[in-house]
Amino acid sequence: MTSTSVAKPPRGTGQSIAARVEQATKTYGSGDAAVVALDAVTVDFAAGAFTAIMGPSGSGKSTLLHCMAGLDTLSSGQAFIGGTDIASLSDKELTLLRRDRLGFIFQAFNLLPVLTARENITLPLDLAGRKVDGEWFEKVIASLGLGERLGHRPAQLSGGQQQRVAVARALATKPEVVFGDEPTGALDSRTGAELLGFLRSAVDDLGQTVVMVTHDPVAASYADRVVFLADGRVVDELQAPTRDGVLEMMKRLGG
Amino acid sequence: MLRYSLRSLLAHKLRLVLTVAAVTVGVAFVSASFVLSDTMGKAFDELFAGLAKGTDVVVRAESIDANATARGQVRPLDEDIVDTVRKVSGVAAAEGSVTGFALILDKDGQPIQPGGAPTLGSSTSTDSDLSGNFSLRSGQVPAAPDEMAVDAASAAKAGYKVGDRAAVIFEDGTEEFTITGIVGFGDTDSLAGATLASFETATAQKLLGKAGKFDQIDVRAADGISAVDLRDELAQALPAGTEALTADQVSGESAQAIRDGLGIFTNVLLTFAGVSLLVGSFVIWNTFNVLVAQRRREVALLRAVGAKGGQVLGGIILEAGLIGLVSAGLGLAAGVGLAGGIRSLLAAVGIEVPTTAAVVEPRTIVAALLVGVVITVVAAVVPAVSATRVAPMEALRTATPADGSIGRSRSTVGILLLAASAAALATAALLKDQLVLTGLGALAGFAGLVVAGPLLARAMAGLANRGRAGGGWSLAARNITRAPKRAAATALALTIGLTVVCAVAVVASSTKASVTDLLSGGNRADLILQAASPTGGVSPAVARILDQQAEVDAVLELRFSQATVANKSASIIGLTRDTVDHVMDLGITAGSLADFRNGSLLLSTKQAKQLDAGVGDTVTITFPETGERSYEVAALFERDALVGAGYLLTLDDYAGNVTSRMDAAVMVTAASGVAAGKLQQQVDDALADFPNVQVSDPTEFAKSQQASVDQMLGLVTALLALAVIVAVLGIINTLVLSVVERTRELGLMRAVGATRRQVRTVIRRESVLMSLFGAIAGVLLGTGAGIALARAMNGEGISSLDVPLASLAVYVVVAAVIGVLAAIGPARRASRVDVLRAITVD
Ligand SMILES: Nc1ncnc2c1ncn2[C@@H]1O[C@H](COP(=O)(O)OP(=O)(O)OP(=O)(O)O)[C@@H](O)[C@H]1O
Ligand SMILES: [Mg+2]
Repeated sequence: MTSTSVAKPPRGTGQSIAARVEQATKTYGSGDAAVVALDAVTVDFAAGAFTAIMGPSGSGKSTLLHCMAGLDTLSSGQAFIGGTDIASLSDKELTLLRRDRLGFIFQAFNLLPVLTARENITLPLDLAGRKVDGEWFEKVIASLGLGERLGHRPAQLSGGQQQRVAVARALATKPEVVFGDEPTGALDSRTGAELLGFLRSAVDDLGQTVVMVTHDPVAASYADRVVFLADGRVVDELQAPTRDGVLEMMKRLGG
Repeated sequence: MLRYSLRSLLAHKLRLVLTVAAVTVGVAFVSASFVLSDTMGKAFDELFAGLAKGTDVVVRAESIDANATARGQVRPLDEDIVDTVRKVSGVAAAEGSVTGFALILDKDGQPIQPGGAPTLGSSTSTDSDLSGNFSLRSGQVPAAPDEMAVDAASAAKAGYKVGDRAAVIFEDGTEEFTITGIVGFGDTDSLAGATLASFETATAQKLLGKAGKFDQIDVRAADGISAVDLRDELAQALPAGTEALTADQVSGESAQAIRDGLGIFTNVLLTFAGVSLLVGSFVIWNTFNVLVAQRRREVALLRAVGAKGGQVLGGIILEAGLIGLVSAGLGLAAGVGLAGGIRSLLAAVGIEVPTTAAVVEPRTIVAALLVGVVITVVAAVVPAVSATRVAPMEALRTATPADGSIGRSRSTVGILLLAASAAALATAALLKDQLVLTGLGALAGFAGLVVAGPLLARAMAGLANRGRAGGGWSLAARNITRAPKRAAATALALTIGLTVVCAVAVVASSTKASVTDLLSGGNRADLILQAASPTGGVSPAVARILDQQAEVDAVLELRFSQATVANKSASIIGLTRDTVDHVMDLGITAGSLADFRNGSLLLSTKQAKQLDAGVGDTVTITFPETGERSYEVAALFERDALVGAGYLLTLDDYAGNVTSRMDAAVMVTAASGVAAGKLQQQVDDALADFPNVQVSDPTEFAKSQQASVDQMLGLVTALLALAVIVAVLGIINTLVLSVVERTRELGLMRAVGATRRQVRTVIRRESVLMSLFGAIAGVLLGTGAGIALARAMNGEGISSLDVPLASLAVYVVVAAVIGVLAAIGPARRASRVDVLRAITVD
């Protein structure tokens, strides 16, 4: 499990590691004002699995996600996507990593207002100058139920539809890992449940890997595994979580 | 509110700098125009006052023409009038003087040519009180026929010292003199740039073709007698046809004439200043528009916490006022420097202007402040008023307002205006001589662009919106579509300058084509001789020499003067009667050249139409020197552009009314069987003593004419370059503002895998699209207006039409390059957005 082999591990085996951090530390500021957002975190995320990250506000969830996804840099420690050590990449290589090997869903503001839903979905491919894989595209669109809305601009879509477009965009490149930072945070529970259903089926049917930050025990119950953070440290984890199991764990950690 | 305004000003330094720069450039241009012309005016005032120093009264021939500019030369007086004057009581001293053409040659025999100033020869005053500001720097005044004094500037230029020998070209030929003195003029080395050779009086009279004559008599009053009293006294004693004026009157008159001339010059400069100000106000308007839009939430918050609409408006006006005031101050200071720059620019194309310490009149300061403050405030108030109309809650709800909507009526009006403009310009081009219609068409066109601009910007973006959605062009096009009004206003700033440049380019190119057509149409001369300097002329001696050459068949002298016909200023030409037909085909439409003799004239068909005169009718010309003279129309001719005047007299009639005998041009045909090259060689050899005469064949002549057109075009383009710079500032401004506005979007793009280069590309292409839009609009309107204008100037000698497609294409390419350059800063800024900050919810 501590292998740092450069070879890209095979996907969807449930055994290989899609993303991993080792002794990851992130400090903001310096001296007295220094905030330790991540404190020597070591955790890995299995390929082909749906993992949720939970923890109190300020516990470092977003920071962990950003550092794994190459949006932010660690103060010390290492982060890997597959076998790639992110710290060794230049800004340009990081950009290409994000474009070609990762997908993102943010809590809000996921889409460029000037592009239609379809164009937003294919944006990473267009930026790469790659051809859209028609079959895959249709599959993703169909499973997200977006067929009707592809020609619309974000402003013409509901919040739930916008988030679904964001999921489709994140999946469009068949990425190694899809990261989501509270993707359902701005949605009502029904729409949120739909979206989580899609993410679940992306893992089950399409063989994707999903790592998602959430505050919601129900959302976490869709995952295969829940990792709990507190004060920048991994404090516990649950396999095959249920809503009640998560709630209980939260109570225990909170108390 | 005041503190808030000041804070918000300082919070956005870049924006502030760009806005201030836009106003500053415009104001600088306005103040430079005023400073330059005031400085020149003062320089001339000093000059004339200096000339008249010590003189109380001037006696000269009475002029018919009240206009001192048109008068130019007064008819010389008989020299014995000096004795009459001296006998008048109260006269302490009186002395006659003559002035005329004298071109000093340097040691290599090359003429010492000042830029645009005359080359003067004059008599020397022996009465030191009557010699004005002239003073001997070294040596002594010329006393013998082969002695002369030269101005210190010419002496320095040619390296002449007292005792050197130097040749001078006169109307009648070249002579050599010993330099006995070097003169200065007050503190300066020359008379406003003119060269001066002065001679002992009798010699000067002979050399300048005024033997026994004086141009004017300078009189000094005896102690205790005022200039006015002496003038009145003298007026009693003088014969008819002579007048006495106080020296103040004369210098005031000359200064006024110069100031009138400078007024035109100032107006031309102010037009250019106006263009850059118009561009500047577009930029400011746009800046404040975007600013206010971006600050809608801020404004709404202020309103929500209780600021009244008026307070918010007041804050914005205050902000604009401060920007205007600072920019106006900077612009004024820059204007003084710019005045020097424009002077150098004029000097570079051969227009040398006299100068003295820079003059900043109160008027200049007032104009600068007014222009800076008023334009900025007005440009800011419009968007500000609309901002205060927004309901506080609405503004707080919508984060980034993007006003992509274009009213239907706005589009309709805009398109109608553009159509009207196209129709007007086309009609003007077809009908010819439609100056007013051309102006209206151009104005309608510009108004149409302003009104329909957003629509056009969107249409243009639609064209560019091809290919993959993630590709730079498509994204850039869509961002423009998002705020078409802003894009249009930004682009139109560039349009203004380019419209004028293109219109001027078309007119210039047509002028050049006209020169070629003209020469191939009516010219029969094999050689055309002209003075190398614009102020000089060709000595009549040249024509006499040419007449004696075996290789030369016909020689035509052509002289040129202004006079008045039917109360309008008119150009009169005197030419050698016998050779007209050999040298040119005037295109006679009525009457016969055979009837053209002393007492008759040739009238252009254009003037004939205006005067409603035909062959056999009488036309009265009022000469500045001699007054009314009547001539019978011998024939009507069509090709007035060939000679540049509508009234042709015989050389004898002309000489009877105009003293100056310098030829404006001499035209020559080769004797049969003589090759062109041989003729030119022969003529060059024969005229070795006249280095100031330029001998060119028709092709060379056309080229030199065209070169001067190109030079004017270059000058105009250089002046308009400032307007283009302001427009570029505007593009940078708009881009920076929209990058700031779109921080999150740009961050999102980076997050999903857009490289820095890709982000830069999008911004750059937005810039290029806006620049191209502005350029194409400007080139189209400018070309249309230029064609109509060239046709409207048909009467001014622009007989052909030529559209310089290559230059126009270059302008478009330059605009694209400008777009790329303007985007450098904003694009870099865009590519450096903090991805995290952009995507985290605030
Ligand atoms: N840019 C920053 N500068 C300084 N401190 C920061 C910065 N970003 C995050 N922090 C701090 O790091 C810690 C972890 O923040 P992080 O955003 O990862 O928390 P989180 O678990 O995502 O919280 P939430 O559930 O509220 O989103 C917090 O204490 C936060 O204040
Ligand atoms: Mg967070």
